[in-house]
Amino acid sequence: MKDKQTILIIEDEKSLRGALVDILRLKDFAPIEARNGKEGLRMALSKHPQLILLDLIMPEMDGMTTLKKIREDSWGKDVPIIILTNLSATNDQAVTDALTHTSTYFLIKSDWKLRDIVNKIEEILGN
Amino acid sequence: MNKKTFTSPSDDIILNLKVLAEEKESARKKLVVTAAKLAATAKKLAATAAKLAVVAEERESVRQKLVITAEEKESVRRKLVVTATQLAVVAEEKESVRRKLVVTAKNLEISHKTLEAKVLERTKSLEVVRAKEGAILLSIGDGLIATDQNGKIILINETAERLLGKKKEEVIGKNYSEIILLADEKGTPVRPEDHPVNLALTRGTKTTGTTYYNMRKDDSIFPVSITVTPVVLGGKVVGTIKVFRDITYEREIDKAKTEFVSLASHQLRTPLSTVNWYAEMLLEGDVGELNSKQRNYLDEVYRSNRRMVELVNALLDVSSLELGTFVIEPMSTDICKLARNVIHEQKPQIEARKIQFRFSCYKEKSMMRADPKLLRMVMQNLLSNSVKYTPIGGKVALSITLADKKHIQIEVSDTGYGIPRKQHGKIFTKLFRADNVREKDTDGTGLGLYIVKSVVEQSGGKIWFESPHENRGTSFYVTLPIRGVTENQR
Repeated sequence: MKDKQTILIIEDEKSLRGALVDILRLKDFAPIEARNGKEGLRMALSKHPQLILLDLIMPEMDGMTTLKKIREDSWGKDVPIIILTNLSATNDQAVTDALTHTSTYFLIKSDWKLRDIVNKIEEILGN
Repeated sequence: MNKKTFTSPSDDIILNLKVLAEEKESARKKLVVTAAKLAATAKKLAATAAKLAVVAEERESVRQKLVITAEEKESVRRKLVVTATQLAVVAEEKESVRRKLVVTAKNLEISHKTLEAKVLERTKSLEVVRAKEGAILLSIGDGLIATDQNGKIILINETAERLLGKKKEEVIGKNYSEIILLADEKGTPVRPEDHPVNLALTRGTKTTGTTYYNMRKDDSIFPVSITVTPVVLGGKVVGTIKVFRDITYEREIDKAKTEFVSLASHQLRTPLSTVNWYAEMLLEGDVGELNSKQRNYLDEVYRSNRRMVELVNALLDVSSLELGTFVIEPMSTDICKLARNVIHEQKPQIEARKIQFRFSCYKEKSMMRADPKLLRMVMQNLLSNSVKYTPIGGKVALSITLADKKHIQIEVSDTGYGIPRKQHGKIFTKLFRADNVREKDTDGTGLGLYIVKSVVEQSGGKIWFESPHENRGTSFYVTLPIRGVTENQR
């Protein structure tokens, strides 16, 4: 049996994090959790997950800063990151800039079913 | 007496006679002399008389002359009298005129004084008006700088002094290019030929903008809203006037509004996402099978929650539109391809309602400059309305044509319920839903057409519809400029 792929969930909202952890476990991934950007950055750089789900509005360190810091790392510059947020991206220049990076994706939580998120993850990881 | 007659008288008598004769001779002789003397005297007298006669004649002549002179004098005197009389009359007239003149002069003096007083008064009030106008100009809350036709600064008000951090004295008479330093948002100075004052002076163009940054003395920049207008007199540009305002505060408010919308969207969507995801897992049986009643109930919860999500999304779009934070990013877009995508997305609904659907596009690869995200929103809303509000088995058509050389037309028509005539005027109103569809479908937000209209109009397009009778269908038309919408950078 192959190793489960590690997915890092950086999300401050416990209920959302819980749902993501549950569905990912169910779909045979190995989710790990971080409650804010700072924790997420530390875990990303130490655990090197296959993919990161990243919230934007979080205490301690927000998602955009976390994203930038991960991208500064030699490992982190290519790791697929799905920005999973409830912010409308349309007017945030920083988000637009981030999206020009090929391995950064942007999903609005309230518009996406869990299954669609899982599908997206599988698509990105080429499963 | 004869002596022979008396010859014998004595001697005495003879002697006496002799003496007598002698005395007589002497007397005669004396008489002769006297006669001679008398004759001489007579001669003299005669001569004198003659002289007197001449004198008398002369006198007479003189007298006659004098008489003539006197006559002449009299005539002159008479003339003089006449003249004097005339002079008197003239003098009287003169006096009368003089009196009149005196009166007139007095009147004039009075008038003059009144006039002077009036002029003074007017001058004063004009001065007050001028001073007031000056004060108004100078104390206007917006910055104000005026230049002459050579671009020399002739006026600067207090606000402008304060905004630029420069004193009037250091500014007046200088060329605008030394004083009005403009830069773009990145701080790059505006090229001299593109300077609005230069444009006003050379081309007579008016510039209004909000992206210019005025550079202060210390090179710090602040956002300004400016209007530069040429001052035209008799068809010639005689100067320019620049009104500008520091919009730092407005920018901050704009930012705060945008942030509020973002935050609100985040706050509203988070609990909705939670409900969504857990309901989804329950419905999918991820944590065990549900009985059918449980499934039904949960389905209601899930559907209501989806509606709530849609409503929040629509409200966010609306507030973005109203705040002007809706970013329009025009790019070359294939409208037909985009339309096919929209149709594809709605295939499930179209099929579920057994709609006979028709699509036509005037040509393949029909490129136009538009923001695909917004264009999609327009077509999505119109198409989903048509599908939703057409009875099962009805017809819906979407066609894209060229309205004219410069405009593309999108037409979405159906054989649906139509819009009640008396509600035609309200159909684009926010949160409005027509009576006839409210009964049939409870899911609508009443925001779709409002959003579509806002988007279309902000994109420089037009929208209208035809719905002649209830239950006889509706056609919506949208025209948009092919060369694209106005880009906004906010």
